[in-house]
Amino acid sequence: MTPPPWDRRVRVGVGVSTIVALGLSACAAPSTTGDTARSQAWSAVLEQARGETVRMWMYGGDPQGNDYVDDVLAPAAADQLDVTLERVPVADTADAVTRVLAERQAGVDDGKVDLVWVNGDNFATGRQAGAWLCGWADELPNGRYTDPDDPLLETDFGTPVDACESPWHKAQFTLAYDSDAVPDPPTTLAGVLEWAEEHPGRFTYPAPPDFTGSVFVREVLLSVSGGPDAVPPAFDRAAYDDLAPDLWERLRDLAPSLWRGGATYPRDAPALDRLFADGEIDMTMTYGPATLTRLVRQGTYRGSTRVLPLIDGTVGNASFLAIPASSGVPEAAMAVADLALSPEQQVRKADPAVWGQFTALDPSRLPAGAAAAFEALPRSPVVPPFPVLSRNAHGELDAGWVSALDEGWRREVLGAGS
Amino acid sequence: MIRRHPGLLLLPALVPTLLLLGAAVVTLGLQSLGLMPLVGAPRLSAEAFRSVTPDLATSVGLTLAIASAATALAAVVGLGTALLVTSSARSARVLGLAAAATVPIPHLVAAAAVGLLLADSGVLPRMLGLSAEQWPDLVAGPWWVAVVLEYAWKESAFVALVVGAALATRVARYDETAALLGAGRVHRLRHVTLPLAAPALLVASTISFVYVVGSYEVAWLLGRTYPEPLPVLAFRLFSSADLAARPEAAAVSVVTGLVAALVAVASLLLARWREQVRA
Repeated sequence: MTPPPWDRRVRVGVGVSTIVALGLSACAAPSTTGDTARSQAWSAVLEQARGETVRMWMYGGDPQGNDYVDDVLAPAAADQLDVTLERVPVADTADAVTRVLAERQAGVDDGKVDLVWVNGDNFATGRQAGAWLCGWADELPNGRYTDPDDPLLETDFGTPVDACESPWHKAQFTLAYDSDAVPDPPTTLAGVLEWAEEHPGRFTYPAPPDFTGSVFVREVLLSVSGGPDAVPPAFDRAAYDDLAPDLWERLRDLAPSLWRGGATYPRDAPALDRLFADGEIDMTMTYGPATLTRLVRQGTYRGSTRVLPLIDGTVGNASFLAIPASSGVPEAAMAVADLALSPEQQVRKADPAVWGQFTALDPSRLPAGAAAAFEALPRSPVVPPFPVLSRNAHGELDAGWVSALDEGWRREVLGAGS
Repeated sequence: MIRRHPGLLLLPALVPTLLLLGAAVVTLGLQSLGLMPLVGAPRLSAEAFRSVTPDLATSVGLTLAIASAATALAAVVGLGTALLVTSSARSARVLGLAAAATVPIPHLVAAAAVGLLLADSGVLPRMLGLSAEQWPDLVAGPWWVAVVLEYAWKESAFVALVVGAALATRVARYDETAALLGAGRVHRLRHVTLPLAAPALLVASTISFVYVVGSYEVAWLLGRTYPEPLPVLAFRLFSSADLAARPEAAAVSVVTGLVAALVAVASLLLARWREQVRA
């Protein structure tokens, strides 16, 4: 009998691993100070942008957003800037940030990500690692139409923007309901929770860390704590320890009345929307109320779908475009970010038939023609205009709150319910 | 040279695999021990393992349970299919084609299809005229039924193909010989067919089991949000907005790899022990 050939194979394996390990141990974490864009005249930026390709990574789960970028923004970039805009769809913005961080760790300076449609917590993650290019967003010519004192544009989930990202549009967290099933809708968030308890199985929310589920939990925190002023926006452990127990207790009490008795939750916002579309629940929630108009028109949602206005207001925020420090074509990316902020593009994007996203510009600063174009936009039968939607709106809590609450929810509510 | 060492022919496939796998495993090890952080200075610590420990026990248990149930079903159905395919039954060709056609369907596509079919408001309850309340919680329910069924369906086709191939060349001759010597159907199955199929069945089942242990998308799509199988837990931590969770994701992946490796080694030992017993 011949001896098993393991010994030789093991020796080869160990040898290979050692070589790989030696190669890898040469990598240390890159510095966390973000790069700052070169200061230069805007005409020079446009000149360098010409002929380049910008790969824009964005959440791909919103068909209207995809269509807007493909059919409106990309042709405009080709016409006006001579820049090819390629949309890269991702399931979660964190995927784009993961890619940027990996490129950064590998020391790549001509990365595959040039522009990212980023949300607050991922922006904070990138800032933490110094992954964004900074000091460029305040140089954009179209930035003059934004309100410099707008708190939504100064900080993003509590992280100072510091010209590391350029505003794209504003969002308002919104609940929607089926007015046939809920003839007498609640008017406060506390009322929504009570309604849910009176109608077992007809309400639920996506499991954090889903973006939408996460904001719902923060809204309940504000509600049970006694309003937005009762929670300090900057994260602090003492405030968390003080306020969170009431929140968990409220959500645990609510759980048995939820869909499937709270034993499980929809894993993301699309899963929640599907339950609403299938008539398994009577309320849904979204960060992009703009999409409701089209979903009703397509027949995905019933015609009786309405936005639920809450007296205590909901959270509003702005979303941004950021340029990774590892991008090889930062000038072209800046040119696209500026184009996306132009009154012309913002009007097209605000049209409910196109995407319906609320503008990041300040209407009072616009030239007369552009202001009139915003006025002339068709009204949606489902979604009230932004001033109505954002009545009593409050700002986002810090990104520190987001991860603490997401983690706490998994332990205290999800773990307890099953 | 090649004639004396036929293993050399494997080198073009083996070297890149070993390099890739080696690099991945070493990176994972370094990350899980805090030696390759995204921010800050590298520092050796078992902190990542410590902070995932509370979730780890349930996740390991759940992963093993799903993999065991799915593999057991796949082995039974796959073996049955293989026996039918290698028999002279009239349906043999159709069955063989069905199994062969199932194997190349990606698990992600299969999972989406199973979801569409079995969800509360899926195709099946609609066809049967049942409302969401009347239909059992197969998708995202407490017993992971849809997840197990998806794996069992896909992997049974794989098992059938492997076992069928092992049987096809030899079983007819042995079977006929045994029949001529007067063995009945049950005897031939027990003493001829099953022993011939067993080694291939063991290997195919092991591959299925290890695959299920390490696979993410099916459990993510069709499972519930809590508790989580190991790969789902690892991926959630990996894509967390909090950079400090990366080492934890690596730690969970290391544990997943160890579980899979243990199962593979156990199966190899079992195969060797069987051979020795017979020899």
